[in-house]
Amino acid sequence: MTPRLTAGFALVTTALLLAAPLAIPQQPAGSEPSRVVGPSRGRALAGEVLAARTEEVAGLLRCPVCQGLSVADSPATMAVNMKAQVKELLAQGYDQEQILAYFEHSYGEFVRLEPPLRGVNWLVWLGPVLALAAGGAVVAWTLRSRRRAAAEEPVVPLPGLGPGPDMLPDDPELARHVRRVRELAYGWPDGRPPGSSS
Amino acid sequence: MSEAGVREHKPRPLNQRVLLVGLAVVAPLVAVLTMNLGRNPHVIGSPLVGRAAPDFSLRPLDGGEPVTLASLRGRPVVINFWATWCVPCFQEHALLVSTARSLAERARFIGVIYEDSEEQVRGFLARQGSAYPSLVDPGSRTAIAFGIFGVPETFFIDAEGRIAAKHVGPLDAQSLEAKLRQAGLAP
Repeated sequence: MTPRLTAGFALVTTALLLAAPLAIPQQPAGSEPSRVVGPSRGRALAGEVLAARTEEVAGLLRCPVCQGLSVADSPATMAVNMKAQVKELLAQGYDQEQILAYFEHSYGEFVRLEPPLRGVNWLVWLGPVLALAAGGAVVAWTLRSRRRAAAEEPVVPLPGLGPGPDMLPDDPELARHVRRVRELAYGWPDGRPPGSSS
Repeated sequence: MSEAGVREHKPRPLNQRVLLVGLAVVAPLVAVLTMNLGRNPHVIGSPLVGRAAPDFSLRPLDGGEPVTLASLRGRPVVINFWATWCVPCFQEHALLVSTARSLAERARFIGVIYEDSEEQVRGFLARQGSAYPSLVDPGSRTAIAFGIFGVPETFFIDAEGRIAAKHVGPLDAQSLEAKLRQAGLAP
C-alpha cells in the first residue's frame, strides 16, 4: 500500500468513526417511549459501551416480579424483557433519565431503586443522616451534663462518713477510734486530714 | 442489727425526657408498620389509571392486520393480559368469553398474550373457545408499557382511550360489570 493510499484510507475511516455518533437515531414513528418522554436527548450507543450502560441503567430499575432485585440481576422473564428494552432505548439515543421516567410512567415511582429526590423521599435520603446527627448530639449533651454534675458535687475523699467539717461520726467514743485508725492507716497527725482546721 | 445484703430499691422516678425521645423515635416506626403491614407488596397501585392508554400495534394470533388501540376508539375496550400457564387466567376465561359474546358491539374485548408460545395459546383457545382476538406481544413491550407485573391483569379503557380502571387477578362477574360501567358502558 502506498503512503498516499494508507493516508486516504485512514482519513476515510476516521471521518466515518467521527460521524457515527452524530447519526440521528431512528425511532419508530409514534413509538410509545417518545410519546411519554419525548424525543431522544442523548447519543445513540453501540457495542461495549451499550452493554455496559445497559447494565448500569437496568441496575437502577426494580424488577416488578422479584421486587428485591434490580432488572439487571433478576432472572424473571419480565426483567429480561425490560432489560432488552433498556438496551433498545439506549441504542436509540434515549438518556438515563428518560429511560427511568418511561418505566416510572408505567409502573410508578416504585420501579426506581433509588427514590428520586422529591416530596416524602427526602426523608428516605436524609433520615439516617439526621438520626446519626441527633444521636451524636444526645451523646454529647449527656456527657457534658454528667461532667457538669460531677464537678458540682462536693468531693468526699472518705466515703461512708458522717457530715461535718471533720467528717467524723457523732458518737465521741467512735470518733476517737476513727481518728486513731486514720492516724495509723493514712499517717494523718491526730487523725485529721492534712490541711483541715482542728 | 442491719440487714446485710438486703438493699431497699427505691422506685426510680420516670424520666420524662427519655420517655419523650423514645416515643418520638418509635411512633413514626409504628405508624409506618400499621399502615403497611396489611398491604400486599405485589399489588402495585397503577399510575396509569386516569391516563391515556399506551398505544400499541400488535399482530393477532390468527393473522390479519395489526390491531392498534386507535382503531378501537369509540366504545369501551377491555384489554386482558393473560397466558395459558396461568391458573387464574384459566378461571376467568369463560367469563370473559361469555361477556364478550353477550355485549357484542357495545364493548370490544382484546386479549394480549403474555410470555407464552403461540402453539400453546392456539391449543388452549381451540379447547376453551374464544370470542375476541388475542394479540402477540413480542418482547412484552406492550405489557411493559401497561405496567404489567403478573397475569392476569385487565385494563378497562373508555371510548376516548383513557384507562378508567384496572383489575389485578382473575375477574369475577361483579368486578367485570362494575369496571365496564366505569369505562362508560351504557346500562
